[in-house]
Amino acid sequence: MSVPVMTVPGEPPAPLSTAAVRATGLRKTYGSGETAVHALAGVDVAFAAGEFTAIMGPSGSGKSTLMHCLAGLDTATAGEVWLGGTDLTRLRDDELTKLRRQRIGFVFQSFNLLPVLDARDNIVLPMQLAGLRPDTAWMDSVVARLGLRERLGHRPHELSGGQQQRVAIARALLPRPDVVFADEPTGNLDSRSGAEVLGLLRSSVKETGQTVVMVTHDPVAAAYADRVVLLADGLLAGELSDPTAESVLDALRGLGA
Amino acid sequence: MRSVLFAQVRAHVARLLASTLAVVIAVGFVVATLVLNETARSTVLNAVGAQYVGAAAVVTSDDGSSLADDADAVAGLSSVAAVAPSFETSIQAAVPGRTGSQYLFVGTVADDPALRWQRVSDGALPDRPGEVAVSDRARAAVGDVLTVTTYDAAGDESTSEVTVTGIVDLSGDPEAGLYGRAFVTPEQAREWGAADPLELRVAAAPGFSDEQVRTDTAAALGDRPVEVRTGSERAADAAAAMMGNTTALAAVLLVFGTVAVLVAGLVIANTFAVLLAQRTRELALLRCVGATARQVRRSVLGEAVVTGLASSTIGVAAGIGLAAAVSALAGGGESPIPLTGLSIPWYAPVAGVLVGTLVTLLAALAPARAATRVAPLAALRPVDPAPLRSRPGVLRLVLGLLLLLPGVGLMALGVAMGQVLIALPGGVLSFLGIVLLAQRAVPPVVAAAGRLAGRFGGVPAQLAAGNATRNPRRTAATATALLIGVTLTSAFVVGAASTRATAQAGLAAEFPTDIVVSSFDGALPASLLATLEDLDGVDRGAAVISADVTGPDGQPTWTFGVDAAATEPVLRSTEELALPVPGQALLPEWLAETWAVRDGDPVALGAPGQQRTFTALVVDSGQPLMLTADDLRAVAPETGLGELWLRLTDGEPDGQVGAVDRITDVVAEIDPAAQVTGLVTLRDQIDEVLDLLLLVVTGLLGIAVLIALIGVGNTLALSVVERRQENGLLRALGLTRGQLRGLLAWEAVLVAGVAAVLGVLVGGAYGLIGAASVLGEIGEIVLSVPWLQVAVIVAVATVAGLLASVLPARRAARTSPVSAIAG
Repeated sequence: MSVPVMTVPGEPPAPLSTAAVRATGLRKTYGSGETAVHALAGVDVAFAAGEFTAIMGPSGSGKSTLMHCLAGLDTATAGEVWLGGTDLTRLRDDELTKLRRQRIGFVFQSFNLLPVLDARDNIVLPMQLAGLRPDTAWMDSVVARLGLRERLGHRPHELSGGQQQRVAIARALLPRPDVVFADEPTGNLDSRSGAEVLGLLRSSVKETGQTVVMVTHDPVAAAYADRVVLLADGLLAGELSDPTAESVLDALRGLGA
Repeated sequence: MRSVLFAQVRAHVARLLASTLAVVIAVGFVVATLVLNETARSTVLNAVGAQYVGAAAVVTSDDGSSLADDADAVAGLSSVAAVAPSFETSIQAAVPGRTGSQYLFVGTVADDPALRWQRVSDGALPDRPGEVAVSDRARAAVGDVLTVTTYDAAGDESTSEVTVTGIVDLSGDPEAGLYGRAFVTPEQAREWGAADPLELRVAAAPGFSDEQVRTDTAAALGDRPVEVRTGSERAADAAAAMMGNTTALAAVLLVFGTVAVLVAGLVIANTFAVLLAQRTRELALLRCVGATARQVRRSVLGEAVVTGLASSTIGVAAGIGLAAAVSALAGGGESPIPLTGLSIPWYAPVAGVLVGTLVTLLAALAPARAATRVAPLAALRPVDPAPLRSRPGVLRLVLGLLLLLPGVGLMALGVAMGQVLIALPGGVLSFLGIVLLAQRAVPPVVAAAGRLAGRFGGVPAQLAAGNATRNPRRTAATATALLIGVTLTSAFVVGAASTRATAQAGLAAEFPTDIVVSSFDGALPASLLATLEDLDGVDRGAAVISADVTGPDGQPTWTFGVDAAATEPVLRSTEELALPVPGQALLPEWLAETWAVRDGDPVALGAPGQQRTFTALVVDSGQPLMLTADDLRAVAPETGLGELWLRLTDGEPDGQVGAVDRITDVVAEIDPAAQVTGLVTLRDQIDEVLDLLLLVVTGLLGIAVLIALIGVGNTLALSVVERRQENGLLRALGLTRGQLRGLLAWEAVLVAGVAAVLGVLVGGAYGLIGAASVLGEIGEIVLSVPWLQVAVIVAVATVAGLLASVLPARRAARTSPVSAIAG
């Protein structure tokens, strides 16, 4: 299955040794034959450790699919996904699940928290599933940074949307994962809470060297990132370093979005 | 909307399977119950009432006076074709090839063919004296010559010989297995001492109705102390007497039927809730394209009616099939429950279809109302997260307590007074109260059990504990369905154990010896005891010596001498049978009266010169005067071996019956004049009937539990649908498929386990209360809890709950982690 790989203008991909996550020849096809839809048509991409990257693109560009495949939530049709030295595409479901517990953090757009657990239990859930004890000092520092100390005993329905997202971020950061994936983390928030959440993600990159990959369609959100990767029709369509809301908007217009 | 309705039913046949199954099982149960009840009734009617069914009228003596002279008066009536007086007597008959003689109950074969009711399986009915037809139980063959011993009124023995001409088929008669029956011509019966017929069976002349014959006969007998009934009335009365209290039986069956229907209703309601939750978006889409809330409701209810009708019909067929199978099985073996063929009352299928359809419709009402509340917008937005809490009503709490408290009071009163008729309504009231209160009581218990489980089961168990209490109403409904089944099963198991223990204690007190070997002349061979004790199945025995002892009136009195040390281990109970201590004389009441001796008086026994004085103890027993063996030897010069008392090894009823046969054979060989009697067979019969009843009822209630477990599966399926996103999130965060299945399994085990434990506790209490109040009328109560069976009930219900989680768990495990994000 040989498909011409589109070379991307701009900077060369980050060196392999420093990449936290990278994908080569990543394809995801739904259906077969004439009705086949290529959500990802062969993507080569790398995300450097300690960097905050935003994946952007118009609806149907494949940005969510890319994130699902990178995070081991979905299986690729072809190609490889490397998390550090591990090829995710070779792992069985159970191995993948265990890897997600410890090496990947998630922040979703909505429905991030289990309604039956309070904030503290939600935060430690992945580590509990892995049978690990959270590092108390690290947990205190994460909780303090996210301003959740007073909220730990609350159930999700007793928290505001912004507070819920902050709990989700704390949960993602607690196991010190290789990478945190955030899928439209501000999609359901008002602009003030959204800015707060993005600021927290950004500071976790700056202060603790956490790798963060965020999918978004909001140029303002993307401007918080160190780098923006653009996607269109299942293929890489360019990237921007040190983006601003305007430069992102310009780049998107260039894609016809 | 009709096209949508049928398209829905067609498209969701698989989804409807759960509720269909619940309806089929419940309706099948109700129909099978009705059919079996009717079959048993008609079987008994045909067997017990066989002799009356063919008669136009039956004249029965009210006061036991002879009807011999009335036969002619009736026979002279113009509406009467023939009259058959029923002569009855009994004989001792020796069958060739069998040792000993057996007791046969003798009835008559009518001269008139219309009044001959006996069916022969072989040979023919007797036509003249010297011929006899016997039942299977006599174990004789056509052509055998029986040696018959009879005793006339003066007690003189006479012997005659009769030839077996036929074997009478008594199948279906519950008494057929108790003793052999012989049927002879009226002349032969009279020869054997049957003098006074107590019943006349009357045949109608051509053209006269039974009622006409009854009226004429009653008029002809005028002021005689008789009751005149038509043949079918008399048959029904005989059957009713045999079946015992038929209304009680019908009530019990009705209770089981109600239970099955109630449990099915709860399950169907849950199933429909599941189906509609799965279809929220479809229903919303219907609303979007213009269906009114009314139309949506009608569509849902229509679906319920179609499902109910279809599955009730299947249920009716299944129920009839089940009844046929049970009847065939029972008819094949030697069953104490009389079932032959199959009688389907017209109301059974009607009731089945009506009940099934109505219950389905009623159960679908609440989910249908919920469906109408689906907003059109729901089609457009992602599924709402599962509700976290729903509020149990205050009304329910108040109503529950209002039922429970007086119910408990009534039960306490019933136990105190030993009146089941007071305890029963108390039980019904309090149980309804418990069902209502279960919604409040179950969730906290589940939560507590969940905290316990969380300690052992890790994260999945902790999550399951939280999930199981999220929707208390649904958890309670699911648990209640199971609770009802488990409660009733354990109530019955515990109640039956107590009944058995009480009956056995009562029997042991009444009949302390298993087997008595006696001789009329007090001269059993001394070696007989050792021979019998060596037999397989005989535990131990004691010899009772006997002699004529001169009483205070100078007359010889037949007296027993027992060795208390050797006798006591042989007896099952000494409650009703006291054993004498040295210097004590046990006087039966009649003897005490004759001698004018009261309790504690001195009584002098023995021939003049050898007299010794004993202290009298008057006992209420059929035994002769009783002394210790040593005392008897002191006052009577010559003693003989009067009786042998034997105790059989505890064990299988069949083994004990075999032992009785061996004893009879050995005794007949050594001393043909000796007699073997024993109540061991009666005890076995009671055991056997209780065992069979227990088996049948446990099986029937097991069905209720089965239906309830379908409900557990459904509730979990609903949870899986509602928590798709949540399960996806858990998978994304690192819950493996195995752990997700474990989560569902824990949830099922928590709900089923709590329902089982609560059910066993409540049911055990009901069983003990029931036994105490029923048996309180009879006398001493022995309460007994069969711990093993109770443990098995809890284990089975819990494990079955686990099994019920398998399918929903498979489905949940297929949830893709992406679904948490995709919404």
